Amino acid sequence: MAAIKELSKSLVQPFLAVVIGLLTGALVIAAVGESILGTYLEMWKGAFGSFYFFTSTLARATPIMLIALGLSLAFRAGVFNLGAEGQMVLGAVSAALVAIYLPAPGMIKIVAGIFAGMAVGGFWALLPGFMEARFRIPLLISTLLFNYIAVLFASFLVTEPFRDRSGSAALAQTVMLEKSAWLPKLFAGMSVHAGFLFAIVAALLLFWVLRFTPFGYEVKMLGQNSLFAQYGGINRIRVMLTGMFASGGLAGLAGTVEVMGAHYRFVDGALTVPGFAWTGLMAALLANSHPLGIIVTSILLAAFQTGAMGVERNTDVPLELASVIQAVLILFISAKFSYDWWKKRKAKGGESHGAL
Amino acid sequence: MELFDWSLLSSTIRMVTPILLAALGGALCARVGIFNVGLEGLVLVGAFSAIVGNHFTGNLFLAVLIAALASIVFSLLFAYMTIKLRANEIVVGVAINFLALGLTTFALRAIFGVKGAFYDKDMVGLPTVEIPFIHDIPVIGGIVSGHSPLVYFAFLAAILLYVFFYRTVTGFRVLAVGLNPVAARSLGLKVTGLQMLAIVMSGALCGVAGAQLSLGQVTMFTEGMTAGRGFIALVAMMMGQSHPLGILASSLLFGLMDALSIRLQGFSLPTQFTAMLPYVLTIVAMFFLKNKSQIGSAHQQSTR
Repeated sequence: MAAIKELSKSLVQPFLAVVIGLLTGALVIAAVGESILGTYLEMWKGAFGSFYFFTSTLARATPIMLIALGLSLAFRAGVFNLGAEGQMVLGAVSAALVAIYLPAPGMIKIVAGIFAGMAVGGFWALLPGFMEARFRIPLLISTLLFNYIAVLFASFLVTEPFRDRSGSAALAQTVMLEKSAWLPKLFAGMSVHAGFLFAIVAALLLFWVLRFTPFGYEVKMLGQNSLFAQYGGINRIRVMLTGMFASGGLAGLAGTVEVMGAHYRFVDGALTVPGFAWTGLMAALLANSHPLGIIVTSILLAAFQTGAMGVERNTDVPLELASVIQAVLILFISAKFSYDWWKKRKAKGGESHGAL
Repeated sequence: MELFDWSLLSSTIRMVTPILLAALGGALCARVGIFNVGLEGLVLVGAFSAIVGNHFTGNLFLAVLIAALASIVFSLLFAYMTIKLRANEIVVGVAINFLALGLTTFALRAIFGVKGAFYDKDMVGLPTVEIPFIHDIPVIGGIVSGHSPLVYFAFLAAILLYVFFYRTVTGFRVLAVGLNPVAARSLGLKVTGLQMLAIVMSGALCGVAGAQLSLGQVTMFTEGMTAGRGFIALVAMMMGQSHPLGILASSLLFGLMDALSIRLQGFSLPTQFTAMLPYVLTIVAMFFLKNKSQIGSAHQQSTR
């Protein structure tokens, strides 16, 4: 019961934010001189209009959800991991290379690829975590810089040593995975793949870890009051590093399932251009880092994006309508901190034991 | 082509300008206790507005002014969110970056009807200034002279900011707010107003930085053309410990890396590695910055 209450509480704010985001979107649509209702109708149709579009939305939500889950774990521990993009891309390229070059049957390739993707993403996140712990180099900056390095390095791998030179040479990409190493689709002919199930399982697992395990308790303590947590005997560095590793691992998994379930190869830019990492960041912020809330917000943000594609197909409104609405959402969400602060000040002296 | 020659220094000075201006803007915010991650977005808005201003007014001075004003509007949004609504400045900064990227791309298509980049052959970029006597000195003339006016403005801004911080009363007050807002308030200083002032000035500097990006050399706008320069500026600001002259030095280092990475592409190195150079160097540089006060405050931010 308490869990449901907490979940609904963490969804009120996103709902309000969505309303304000849609209102801003309406302003932008009006500025272009299109019909507001007609545009939003196209957006709805593009996201949920048919079973095919609905599954495309779920497919797009998959990497967003996994990244958001990873980031939420870091946020909960009070660490700002802005390096999901690099962790995702390096995980994806490692998974692709393992799945292509490991001499083994398909099933083993899938498992090995997933492990490789998660491990590489995790270690790439661990490195800035270690730099913060050992040399006090702020994670906020180092994770950002690591993005550029990771994306450029992955780009180098597929333009030089591992490039597919058999087909058209226009795209920098690896050769295709053999069919036995593809993640299965959930419905024949639809784009949603088994990675979506991984994301749902990861959300449930993370929810369980945060709520019922000692580690989850330590993460929560550290995020809420790091001094008190250390006083209480929690090893800040150990929790932070574990959190970063898991965070990066989930981002790596996001890239891996995109490679093995959607593209079947690593294509340079295929993960960075749609902005999965930043959308994942927004999904985590929108859900207030609540794992189950993230399922909802990821699908919502994915729906904006697939919906915007429908808008672009059928109206003159550019696709970027979605990014404007999303940015307004996140701006409004950030004001929530003040909303809590204001509420707390108003309720000064009243009940103060409620979980925030 | 030589790797090191005098023209490398000349291109360093060009490359350093947007970074230097944005970093000075970031320093203003840092000095009032606000960590501005939104520099990247502010510069991008400036770059786009400069092109819009240039296209519709045909006047370069107005174009730069419009760029500065547009970035000021964006910085006011940042100020309102962080100061008035007490939102987490990092979250707001990230959101500002998103909004800038989304709005400029959207507006690029809505105003000019193009995707990716806007280029107009009739549009004139910023002129180059040839300083009368210095221009004729053999080596130095080639390095120092012949840049756009904004390049000189950037270096002037660093000096002006130094004078502002350490020689004017308002500057002292700004510094006081950053050192201890509570004490500053108890002395009767208008803390909120001074913070607003600093953020608005930082917006103006970022707008000009954007104008130099889009009008200084190429006279075009491409989606996301800042390409992480705002973040590099953030690091340059931290490396220079928010001291104008320190920032000048660290920005020059990044400008040199930028120029060098372009130069290295002429050799048979893969472009990815040369493009990586500034970021790797930044990380290496950060090892020498630990336990400095600015890092300390950013550290608190990142682990808050």
